[in-house]
Amino acid sequence: MNAHWGQRVAALLIAAFLLLFLVIPVVQVIFVAFQAPATGAFTLVNFQDFFNTSLFREAFWNSLYVAVMSVLVATLFAMPLAYFTTRFEFRGAIIVQTLGIIPLIMPPFVGAVAMQLLFGTNGSINLLLEEWFGINIPFMEGLNGVIFVESIHYFPFILINLSAALNNIDRAMEESAQNLGASGIRLFRRIVFPLAMPGYVAGASIVFLKVFDDLGTPLLLNVNTLLAPQAYLRISSIGITDPMGYVISVILVLFSLFAMWIAALALRGKDYGTEQRGGGGLAKRRMRPWEGILSYGVIGLILLLVLSPHIGLTLLSFGTIWSFSVLPDGYTITHYLEVFEQSPQFVTNTVLYASLAALIDVTIGTAIAYLALRTKIIGRKWLDYTAMAALAVPGVVLGIGYLRTFLGVHLPWSGEPLSNWWVMLVIALSVRRLPYALRACTAALQQLSVALEEAAENLGAGKLTTVRRIVVPLMVGGILAGFVTSFATAAVELSTTIMLVSRESDAPLAYGLYVFMQTAAGRGPGAALGIIAVVIVGVAAYLSHRVIERGHKARGLADEY
Amino acid sequence: MSNSRSLLRAVLLLSLAPALLGLPAQGHAADNKVVVVTSFPKDLTGKFKSEFEKRNPNVQVEILNKSTSSGLKYVQETAKNNTSDIFWASAPDAFEVLKGDGLLKKYTPKVTGIPEKVGAYPINDPDGYYIGFAAAGYGIMWNTRYIKAKNLKPAKEWMDLAKPEYHGHVGMSAPSRSGTTHLTVETLLQGEGWDKGWAQWKELAGNFKTVTERSFGVPDGVNSGDFGFGIVIDFFGLSSQATGFPVEFVYPTVTTLVPANVGILKNAPHPQAAEAFVEFLLSPEGQATLLDPKIRRLPVNPATYSKAPAGFPNPFKDKSIGAAVKFDVDLSKRRYNVVNSLFDVMVTYRLDDLKAAVRAIQDAEAAAARKPNNAKVAALIKEARGLVAATPVTEAQAADPKFSSIFKKRRRKKTDVVPQRQAEVEEQWDAFVTKNYAQARAKAEQALSLAR
Amino acid sequence: MTEHTGMARKHAAGVSIENVNLYYGKNHVLKDVSLVIEPGEFFTFLGPSGCGKTTLLRLIAGFGNAKSGRVRIGGNDVTALPPWKRDVGMVFQSYALWPHMSVRRNVAFGLEERRLPKPEIRRRVDAVLELVGLSELAERRPSQLSGGQQQRVALARTVVVEPQVLLLDEPLSNLDAKLRVQMRQELLELQRKLALTTIFVTHDQEEANTTADRIAVMDAGVVQQVGTPAELYDKPANRFVASFLGIANILDGQLARENGTAVFHSKSGISVPLSASQIPDRATGESCSIMFRPQSVATQPAAAPDSRAGVTMNGVVRHREFLGNLIRYAVTVGESVILVDDAHKPNQPSFSVGTEVRLSLATAQVVVLTG
Repeated sequence: MNAHWGQRVAALLIAAFLLLFLVIPVVQVIFVAFQAPATGAFTLVNFQDFFNTSLFREAFWNSLYVAVMSVLVATLFAMPLAYFTTRFEFRGAIIVQTLGIIPLIMPPFVGAVAMQLLFGTNGSINLLLEEWFGINIPFMEGLNGVIFVESIHYFPFILINLSAALNNIDRAMEESAQNLGASGIRLFRRIVFPLAMPGYVAGASIVFLKVFDDLGTPLLLNVNTLLAPQAYLRISSIGITDPMGYVISVILVLFSLFAMWIAALALRGKDYGTEQRGGGGLAKRRMRPWEGILSYGVIGLILLLVLSPHIGLTLLSFGTIWSFSVLPDGYTITHYLEVFEQSPQFVTNTVLYASLAALIDVTIGTAIAYLALRTKIIGRKWLDYTAMAALAVPGVVLGIGYLRTFLGVHLPWSGEPLSNWWVMLVIALSVRRLPYALRACTAALQQLSVALEEAAENLGAGKLTTVRRIVVPLMVGGILAGFVTSFATAAVELSTTIMLVSRESDAPLAYGLYVFMQTAAGRGPGAALGIIAVVIVGVAAYLSHRVIERGHKARGLADEY
Repeated sequence: MSNSRSLLRAVLLLSLAPALLGLPAQGHAADNKVVVVTSFPKDLTGKFKSEFEKRNPNVQVEILNKSTSSGLKYVQETAKNNTSDIFWASAPDAFEVLKGDGLLKKYTPKVTGIPEKVGAYPINDPDGYYIGFAAAGYGIMWNTRYIKAKNLKPAKEWMDLAKPEYHGHVGMSAPSRSGTTHLTVETLLQGEGWDKGWAQWKELAGNFKTVTERSFGVPDGVNSGDFGFGIVIDFFGLSSQATGFPVEFVYPTVTTLVPANVGILKNAPHPQAAEAFVEFLLSPEGQATLLDPKIRRLPVNPATYSKAPAGFPNPFKDKSIGAAVKFDVDLSKRRYNVVNSLFDVMVTYRLDDLKAAVRAIQDAEAAAARKPNNAKVAALIKEARGLVAATPVTEAQAADPKFSSIFKKRRRKKTDVVPQRQAEVEEQWDAFVTKNYAQARAKAEQALSLAR
Repeated sequence: MTEHTGMARKHAAGVSIENVNLYYGKNHVLKDVSLVIEPGEFFTFLGPSGCGKTTLLRLIAGFGNAKSGRVRIGGNDVTALPPWKRDVGMVFQSYALWPHMSVRRNVAFGLEERRLPKPEIRRRVDAVLELVGLSELAERRPSQLSGGQQQRVALARTVVVEPQVLLLDEPLSNLDAKLRVQMRQELLELQRKLALTTIFVTHDQEEANTTADRIAVMDAGVVQQVGTPAELYDKPANRFVASFLGIANILDGQLARENGTAVFHSKSGISVPLSASQIPDRATGESCSIMFRPQSVATQPAAAPDSRAGVTMNGVVRHREFLGNLIRYAVTVGESVILVDDAHKPNQPSFSVGTEVRLSLATAQVVVLTG
């Protein structure tokens, strides 16, 4: 099959986009890692230094430990939610699933503030524990705190993927095991979970990567013996240009790519979805009363825990003074008034940037998915890999890369540097979030039978028409899922934003949050802005959810039995 | 299908609307705005912005809020095509870096009535590249609810905080992260001497709960009660108090008043507006704005203090504030990066080790106090203290330009040769301090078991 | 045979289903179903898709909740037992082989769940793999097997636990035609060897006829008729059974008794005399239908002398289908269309479309349908 000219053009455009906005900026930054500090010549001595430095080795192991533990704790949160809502006739399953995704739309550094207030050494919980039992539990101390905050923030990635995988399991797989005498935990352990493994690994590897690379949370908790904070501190310290910051960035990128490769290897040949014929998802069982009480209890507890950042933030946003006490001293709405008065542009900018970025993401994501799965264009896999590699690039690195690359280029109409143009911020956000949209689009296309396209072509539709009239409409669920994920996470992205915002009037919410949080006069307005961010993204996510569902019903995809 | 598609379209249109209607004006009329890169909180910048715009209705103030370090990075990275007019921040060292890079423009303000020095520190850059508009000094703030609950007394001097009862109750930022924190560290080093200064810092740091990444982290921590005492710049303490938090603030004897600065960037696109902005900061109205409850910085114009609320510190009257140390700006500049790096290696990155060692020493001392006259115990404790106090770099070495060039930001010429790599040096220091802390802890524990 | 497989034979259990009603929402899927399946019997549920046959099978396995009625296996009421406690083996239509396990692990699963000692598991798995001829492929993954091999693994996985009853849900539907014939013979042999009570669900009458001892024909959630394949074919109880099993000519009309004999008058004007034994105990004058198979009708050229017994009638050939061993004609007689099968032998003349032919019906082979 020869590639259609349109496909070739699309592939070239995407390749150019990735090269220009991902590869070149990143290379611009990390090449410093290969320069000898003394002479500026090419060298690997910096990497030797990295491995010779005990602090960095320690930071590496700490990062690895935190990432692995976060995956485990996140699994503890995600597993019951996914299992109960997919496996049982569970009233409120949609609500549970939706609430379970909300932690993702909280900027992690804001979440850490709220968590500190609730779970810190002298936070609400510990003050109560001390009063009642005279004990103090160090939830938030050191690496524990990072693991705690990160796993709460990122567990939805596992929840989403695991739920989807559980829903895709042919129910006969489970029934045949029951028929042969398996039930309960053994059934889950031996049959259901292994079959859902690909989904779980996909989610877990995202959590691993995000945590491994995350900067905001450890910084806010003042934990600096991790790789990402070490890189950041060394890149951004006043007056110091230590190449080690860049070396660490390279190590972060390389290790993340390595981890993605391992995950891909682990999943090779395990795409069970296509081998299963019956479909229909796991059989939903009705719960016995005590099972119901138990599972609602467990789920309630988990939801309370994972939503605690939001609870804390809400209290903070309405609180007057909250100091060394279980709850704020009083409540007020002045913080909200202040935010609305001073900076309404944060909200409009965020909706604009995040939706444009998400739009770019699903467009490119759909195109890459189509090129990779349906054509034989040379290098199609590389488009996929390169786009996914964005997952491994820390936001700071991308931000600095953009400044370095696009500062010298000027806008023709205003003479301003390109890097100061708000559109560049949109592009940076879209590059950062492209992997999410790409995975969603790929999954959607994988589930689509090629026969549907062949039927259209057989009836005389050209390639472009087929894509437009058959492929895209049938992928709309996956595309929207990608859009929502990209939108929600782009709306709260900080690390790139903080480097690229060149005027306040162009700044999005995350930047505003950061600014409002930087004051000794209380973080109420910042919290109020955070709540506004959560509400905006939540509403957008809910609307898209509704659209997806309506699409499903319209196509009669609802299960009959 | 058509439903979802039209909804998608509607969402898009809606989201594009602000882009079509509300694009930021890209016009270029002369000096209708001034772009300010600043690390100051919104409480301060917002107030000055509105006050300035009230008096200059044709000029719009564009505030770019970044941390000092990322603001500095931003100005450096964008220098080739500078779009900012003003750099406005506390830390004089950030201005020194900009000045060194040739990114600042000389400017002499027209306002009169501002003295040359506040405390022992010159208000303006002697070379005229940046100008002080407010003064600030470091001190101790504490949470009154916290100390009541934990039964602690307020600490008035730095070394009070090194007492065993304050273990785990103190927070500070790192000097590499906050220019003003750097000045505090440097002040103590100059006041007490290099070796004793470091020894005291490490004793003190042994009582830290945390070293915060941002300077704002310290007042946050004290305000929320995460830790009880914070080593902070005065306006954090004063404005927290003014907002209603149950906190108090005091200047210790050894402190330095340092100016918060403003500088006009070279090739500023709006030079006239930039000058107007600087003049406003120094004007009586601008100075009075500093007294706002959410700002609370010390004006550099002594006349302004007449409008200050009762109890507001006045360094021009109360000569005890910030006068104990004759601050040597040159010395500070020469070893600037070495001090930062040293602090990070000895305290920030090895805080847990340091805390463990100091705690062990405190325990041993408590035990020894109950059972005095044990020479062996006393010797062990002294040895342990010595190990904690030891610094891998001498004062002379730290100030040696050749040595400090290892930490220099970049080579200026191709021929510049740096003797060693920073990573190498830091690894040597790290090995030194981790070994010492471990030994100190072992010795202190030995002393404790002997004293029991 | 069991000595050979190493499997100890259990006493085969019968299954009885008593007045089962089952709903999916408002949909009444099984309507008062009662059946008795004898121990060791090869029993087939036959019916079109949606008739409830798979639902009934799943109910025996413990999947799905009946609103009323009981299920007994070997005399024990299992209605309330969950699937994993019923000791019935089920082979799923999709085989449901677990893709993450090798053939051996798949087959060993049920024995492991029964906590048997490892050596015994190994011995029994080896034996059953040998039995189905897959010893060589034990370490493969299911995805590396052909359809027929997967089918055998599914079967082996189920029979290795020696269930009291073997349930087969359209196990041959995913195979191509040739393999299907081969597999169904293997299946039958295996069933005979192991003497397992087997319930087989299919929509394919040929499959049902060639394997089953008895068949329950189902439609719309109701068991229409139970009997041996020949009984069902020769004496279908109603129109549905008649037309579902084989090709049937069905004529609607009235039954009239005349002097001790009865005559059926079709609406299209064909009259068929019937003997008393053919007439069910029903009042005369009522509307009813008769059924006869295409092979019960013989053809002659229209001009030929009326030499045959039975009813004769003239018609015109509208269609002909060449089926190899026979030729099937569709002949219009008055307003009716009658299908006629003529045995085909090489070099023998046949009728072409449009030819007028004379049909003679063997009246003894006519069945009066009651429903």
